[in-house]
Amino acid sequence: MEINLNIKPNLQIRSFYLFFVIVSIQIGVGIMGVPRIIFEASGRDAWISVILAFLYIVLLLSVMFLILKPYDNADIFGIQIDIFGNWIGKLLGTIYIAYFVLNLFTVLITYIEVVTIFIFPDLNNFFMAILLVALILYSTIGGIRVIIGVCFLFFILSHWLVLLLAQPIWEMDWSHFQPMFQSSLTELLEGARQTAYTFSGIELLFLLYPFVQNKKSVKLPVYLGALWSALLVMAATVVVTGFFTPEEIKAREWSVLGLYKIQSFSFVERFDYIVVAEWMMVTLPNMILCSWAVIYGIKRLYKIPQKTTLYVLVSLLAIASIFTKEHYVIQALINFSAKLGFWIIYIYPFLLLILVYVKKRIFQNKGAVNHEK
Amino acid sequence: MRKARKKSNDNSIFPTNLEDLKRQLQTKFDHNSDLNYTIYQHQNQQLAVFYVTYLIDTNKVEASLLKPLLDSKQSWDNTKLLNQIPLSSGKKAKTMDDILKGILMGEVFIYIENEKEIVSYPLKKEEKRDLSKAETESLVLGPQVAFTESLATNMNLTRKGILSNDLVLEKIIVGEQSPKELRLAYLKSVANQDDINTMRQRLVELEVDEIEDSSVLIQLIEDSSSSIFPQFYETELPDRFSYSISKGRVGVLVENSPTGIIAPITLFSFLESTEDLYMRWNIGSFFRILRFIAMVISVLLTPMYVAVVTYHYEIIPMPLLITLGQSRANVPFPPIFEAMLLELLIELLREAGARLPTKVGQTMGIVGGVVVGTAAVQAGLTSNTLIILVTLSALASFTAPSYLMGTTIRVLRFPMIILGGVLGLIGIMFGICFLIIHLLKLTSLGRPYLSPVYPFNWQDLNKTLFRLPYNMQTKRFVSFRLRDLYRFDKDKARKKKDIDE
Repeated sequence: MEINLNIKPNLQIRSFYLFFVIVSIQIGVGIMGVPRIIFEASGRDAWISVILAFLYIVLLLSVMFLILKPYDNADIFGIQIDIFGNWIGKLLGTIYIAYFVLNLFTVLITYIEVVTIFIFPDLNNFFMAILLVALILYSTIGGIRVIIGVCFLFFILSHWLVLLLAQPIWEMDWSHFQPMFQSSLTELLEGARQTAYTFSGIELLFLLYPFVQNKKSVKLPVYLGALWSALLVMAATVVVTGFFTPEEIKAREWSVLGLYKIQSFSFVERFDYIVVAEWMMVTLPNMILCSWAVIYGIKRLYKIPQKTTLYVLVSLLAIASIFTKEHYVIQALINFSAKLGFWIIYIYPFLLLILVYVKKRIFQNKGAVNHEK
Repeated sequence: MRKARKKSNDNSIFPTNLEDLKRQLQTKFDHNSDLNYTIYQHQNQQLAVFYVTYLIDTNKVEASLLKPLLDSKQSWDNTKLLNQIPLSSGKKAKTMDDILKGILMGEVFIYIENEKEIVSYPLKKEEKRDLSKAETESLVLGPQVAFTESLATNMNLTRKGILSNDLVLEKIIVGEQSPKELRLAYLKSVANQDDINTMRQRLVELEVDEIEDSSVLIQLIEDSSSSIFPQFYETELPDRFSYSISKGRVGVLVENSPTGIIAPITLFSFLESTEDLYMRWNIGSFFRILRFIAMVISVLLTPMYVAVVTYHYEIIPMPLLITLGQSRANVPFPPIFEAMLLELLIELLREAGARLPTKVGQTMGIVGGVVVGTAAVQAGLTSNTLIILVTLSALASFTAPSYLMGTTIRVLRFPMIILGGVLGLIGIMFGICFLIIHLLKLTSLGRPYLSPVYPFNWQDLNKTLFRLPYNMQTKRFVSFRLRDLYRFDKDKARKKKDIDE
């Protein structure tokens, strides 16, 4: 397998789209419920946890860039094979792909669950999954350009939802934040750790990096994307903490969606229905990017055509969704995904960085790493 | 058949005698008495002149061809013919194939016995209507004239619009059974070479029996034939055609078709009218944005009503819900049925209006709109509110400057209503997502259909979504990678004069 990739010019993307890709994959279903989870860990200082998490992500992103730097145009699969050899490299790559499948599946079933609870209590899981999966199939089959386009357009078309938070912000009780700085550092860090599932997705950079056209300007959009997601999560957390009392927060699974219930205009009484429907535009890019990562990764590792994998993947997703109607099953899957993601996304890159540079040092006399194979 | 034709191409039928030629021609024109074949005796020579009567301008034949031919005191040969007959673009032909093709194209043939070649002059009589006002794309401001069915007239109008020798009108013949002339129009110093090549290739490689009209040609060479969206712009306005070409697009004119094809285009081209340019920029922008809103309204308003009334009436505020409930109280049908009924009624009215003669059509409008509308409410078939919404969305769909796009928008509404009626807001959202993904996948002549929104290019936004004052529009469409990007000098346009300069 080639470590460095040679991407055709018509498949390359401009680096500025990475901003939208990063935001799209980070902001999905996680943000709907994350304020409660952070709040449970670090109390009214939850917003500090978000800042900590963001700082950690900035660190992580710079580590990822450092890993990619010694190579010409490699992705995670190539790097792993370069470092660990063919067998272990492929195994690790497979775990990576499995994680993407898991993430994709949790997003799918969570959104279906939200729709079931907020709009159609009797909705058939399988039917809804078929709808979503059809959209995933239709856009993923268009290739990377269409996928990036979906991220870009849906980003623009869904961000008006932020404006609807105006009324909750207006009615916030600022005393909910006082007294400040009471949580201990461990509580704050625990809160930051709880954002792992929400903020996951930046690992996609490892896969998309070879596709970027202008590598020199790749960093800024990525950091800005992470900043924007952090700001959105931050806003959600602050508004939820300020608007609801602690008891109310704990009673609400998706506290952010609860915020939209009080916004009303003279022509629209309740926005939560519209918001839940509109949320499809938030989750779809997320799922599409994940499924692209899966089919692309499998092609990289095992040379199976992307179309074959895609058909298999979407049918499996639709079938599997039948068996995940219960909330505790979904929650268990999310928790598992969060735990796995924590190690794969947030810890593993540091290890990989060390290995990449150790290897580089060893082979320094014979030339750079990328010339080795 | 094709092999036989090739063989005859190689060997000339000349020299021959006149009776022989006549017999040969008559076998080809079996049961066709229109071939006028006359043999003249002149200075001890035998001359044959033949043509199809109704394809030829007979006055011209007599005045400019026969008169000098027969009055002359010398004997003729081919060179003399070409030099001395006061007609331009005479040419020689050798084979039966060329002769037959020429006769059908309106040429007059002259054969001097025992010559090695035959001479022909194009003296075509073209039946055409006069220039008239644009009907389907009518405008308030700007040139009103429309293309006609005559290719020569259309080329004339295009040249008049672009007085530049950069304008190329490439001739391409398409159609195997009945060949038709096409013209590929572009500005060679501006248009992107890839676009020109792609278009030329698609036209040249086309293997069909015939092309009925430019709209048929569009369907034959489109990027995706399964899509509901038109991918080439079809216009009957010469000013729009030449404007697009001068901004670097590629155009195609088809013989016997009153519309020109423009490509590559984007979705937003269908919402632009040339009138936006003739109006002041701020007003032009307003109307352009209005058309966008109209498109969204047209696709989404009725489906939204159906979805909300069927499943999510909590969304409607209480005062509105009461009136809505009152107006719907008499209606025994579910909203989806009610909406489909009314939409179908409107479509029927539109279709009937388009088919009927103008005077009857107006009466139809009154009958349909007023009588059926009010009666439907009184009969309890539909609610008042829905009538307002349906009318609004029908009206909105007619704001699209392109008739093709207007039709697309109206048809799109039906699946959306069904989605809204079956799955509520989720269904509508599904429809919107599907549409956006579909639009993202579409291309026009290989260029993205949604540019400049995706691939994003902020410099082009002022040509699609809104307009800016002319001194800020120094560039042509950046996304299309034209050869010459600049329209005029930016610095000169922006230069401000001092008080008393």
